[in-house]
Amino acid sequence: MKQMLSTLLFLCSSLANVGVAQEKLAKNEDSTDVRHELEVSGGSLPTKAEFDVLKEELENLKGKLDGLDESYIETKGTVDALKKIKVSGYIQAQYQSAETAGEATVAGGNFPSNVKQRFALRRGRLKANYDNDLTQYVLQIDVTQNGVGIKDAYASFREPWLRIFGVTAGVFNRPFGFEIPFSSSGRESPERSRICQTLLPGERDLGAMLEIMAESGSLSWFNFKGGFFNGSGSTANDYDSHKDFIGRLGAQVTVPERGFAIDFGGSAYLGGVRQPGPVVYKNVGMHGSGFKIFLKDSSSTNTGASADRNYIGVDAQLYYDLRTLGGLTIRGEYITGEQTGAFSSSTSPSSQPTEIVTRNFNGGYFYCVQNIGLSNQFVFKYDWYDPNTDAGASDIGRPGSNFGLGDIKHQTFGVGWIYHWDANVKLTAYYDIVKNEEINSAAAGSLAPFKTDVKDNVLTLRVQYKF
Amino acid sequence: MKRMIFLPLAPVIISSAAFIGMIFQSGNITVKGSDTMVILGQRWAEVYMSKHPGITIQVTGGGSGTGIAALINGTTDIANSSRPMKKSEVDKLKARYATLGVEIPCAKDGLAVYLNESNPVSELTVQQIKGIYTGKITNWKEVGGKDARIILYSRENNSGTYVYFKDNVLKGADFASSAQTMPGTAAVVNAVGKDVNGIGYGGAAYGKRIKFVKVKKDDKSPGVEPDAQTVASGEYPISRYLYMYTRSKPTGAVKEYVDWILGPEGQEVVMKVGYFPVRDFSTSGQN
Repeated sequence: MKQMLSTLLFLCSSLANVGVAQEKLAKNEDSTDVRHELEVSGGSLPTKAEFDVLKEELENLKGKLDGLDESYIETKGTVDALKKIKVSGYIQAQYQSAETAGEATVAGGNFPSNVKQRFALRRGRLKANYDNDLTQYVLQIDVTQNGVGIKDAYASFREPWLRIFGVTAGVFNRPFGFEIPFSSSGRESPERSRICQTLLPGERDLGAMLEIMAESGSLSWFNFKGGFFNGSGSTANDYDSHKDFIGRLGAQVTVPERGFAIDFGGSAYLGGVRQPGPVVYKNVGMHGSGFKIFLKDSSSTNTGASADRNYIGVDAQLYYDLRTLGGLTIRGEYITGEQTGAFSSSTSPSSQPTEIVTRNFNGGYFYCVQNIGLSNQFVFKYDWYDPNTDAGASDIGRPGSNFGLGDIKHQTFGVGWIYHWDANVKLTAYYDIVKNEEINSAAAGSLAPFKTDVKDNVLTLRVQYKF
Repeated sequence: MKRMIFLPLAPVIISSAAFIGMIFQSGNITVKGSDTMVILGQRWAEVYMSKHPGITIQVTGGGSGTGIAALINGTTDIANSSRPMKKSEVDKLKARYATLGVEIPCAKDGLAVYLNESNPVSELTVQQIKGIYTGKITNWKEVGGKDARIILYSRENNSGTYVYFKDNVLKGADFASSAQTMPGTAAVVNAVGKDVNGIGYGGAAYGKRIKFVKVKKDDKSPGVEPDAQTVASGEYPISRYLYMYTRSKPTGAVKEYVDWILGPEGQEVVMKVGYFPVRDFSTSGQN
């Protein structure tokens, strides 16, 4: 190709010289001067036959170039169409060391019995996105040692006039709070807080959502996402006709000249869980002996009714650019409400539960992330989850109180160091210190270990590759 | 065992080294981004490096979006952009670095509309330009020219020029599907130079070998050609700032370079390349 171009350039300049010379000759200028010019420029006047050959070669090369030009335009059209398809993904491979074998943890799932250290592929995501400006198709799968699962599968549309209103339908992140929709590839702690994992496991749900968000202009400080979802989470089929509303109203205040910004929002989850039978545990009362118990309600009207699943939350993220050191992020979220789960766990059910235990809860988290230069981040995190605010520590485990594993409060202190090797690779070392409330000394069975603080701290060493 | 004791200190040692390295930044500066600003960026770098031998500045194009993406993923010190950063881009910077990005207007540009020299049309209103690029006006005779189909040349959507033109001239409307996307403003100029029925847009600094259309705000306004005076005064209807972005407040070598660009020498380069300065040093002679 290079050779062809240089030949073409040589031919062009030769022909240009010849052309000028012939033009001068045609104008009856002094032919001696013309010949002199050609001699000075290292050329000589070609014969007509030579000129015709050069002209023909030039025509051939011009034809080839036109062909290449056409081919380029055709290829460009194809490439432009392909550019709408964006493929991205990330892999998180990790080594974890637990304090005890078979430890129950929210730091990547329970350790199998007899296992104290493990390697795991925590996440293996592959995301395909067809972005046609106003419309989007997204499919994301998760491939780990446990198999392949669908994480996201949705279509979204934005109106063309104001480009502020959009609709999304399919399986996607539930619009609640900050940590739920915040990508696991960007989060500084290896896992979400216990409360987020318990209330909205898997983060996603099947539903349809309205989004109001302006990319620029006077409304860009405000955003809203809200919609109706099955409530069963991720790709699980629904088990009742009740649809849950989930929404978040957010705002941003930015002071660029100070390098300061605060984002904040309020979220609501208004839902329910179908009660399969008449037996429901909801209210906490006093036992005749003066301690709290979960009261059993066996009203026949309970069957088929909806047990409460209502949360409200507030969240805020503060960003401050500390000159010479790096950016500082402080974020926090507080959630409270009523959650329906089972005795052994307050996790939201993904299928029709057989036990209905509704509790008042609260919880939240705080992060402090300090960047040191481009590559290093230090993170300190605290989160807590009190699944039953009506039950005191001494009430749980007391014979006859009806409180179970799902009522125990936990607090987690996390400390970590993140090193960004390059634009793709991130290394994380993170240590979770988990504290449970110490329950009644009479506790027996599965509750017995919680009479003291269970040894369930976890060290996580993770490497992430993202593209 | 001794090794184990030092293991927890590794993050502290490494980040301390990073912190010290950050304070005593090396003399290498990377600049990526706007194709419109490539020539300007290269001229700045050449002049600056000739006066500061210990500094190496690498300037590459790729488009404003590409430069800002590089700023977000940490592969450039400065992103050149011919449009302001989008909210979604600021959000990404916030999420990764907890910073908002620092916007530094460093030059002004009149976005010129190019026609082939042989095209008899010399003036267009902003509304007519919008009509042409959205496909409502398809023949030159509709705007006072000859009876010939209008051939549209545009830019790729990662270009700041594309985004600015779409937002400010097309008012957010979509380009006609017949618009041919070109990889850079120079390519647009080249195409219009070859095509007698072509129309293109781009930085005024690239406007050689073709003619600029006089742009009218509306039917009643006079046609204005982009030049230093009309762009600086805002009389020319399609003018914009050109920006440099850094992740956080510039320090060290980057700060010195940015300060130089905003100073009299840097702004003189702006004028030599054909753009318009953001500060006038011609009368006061002050920095």
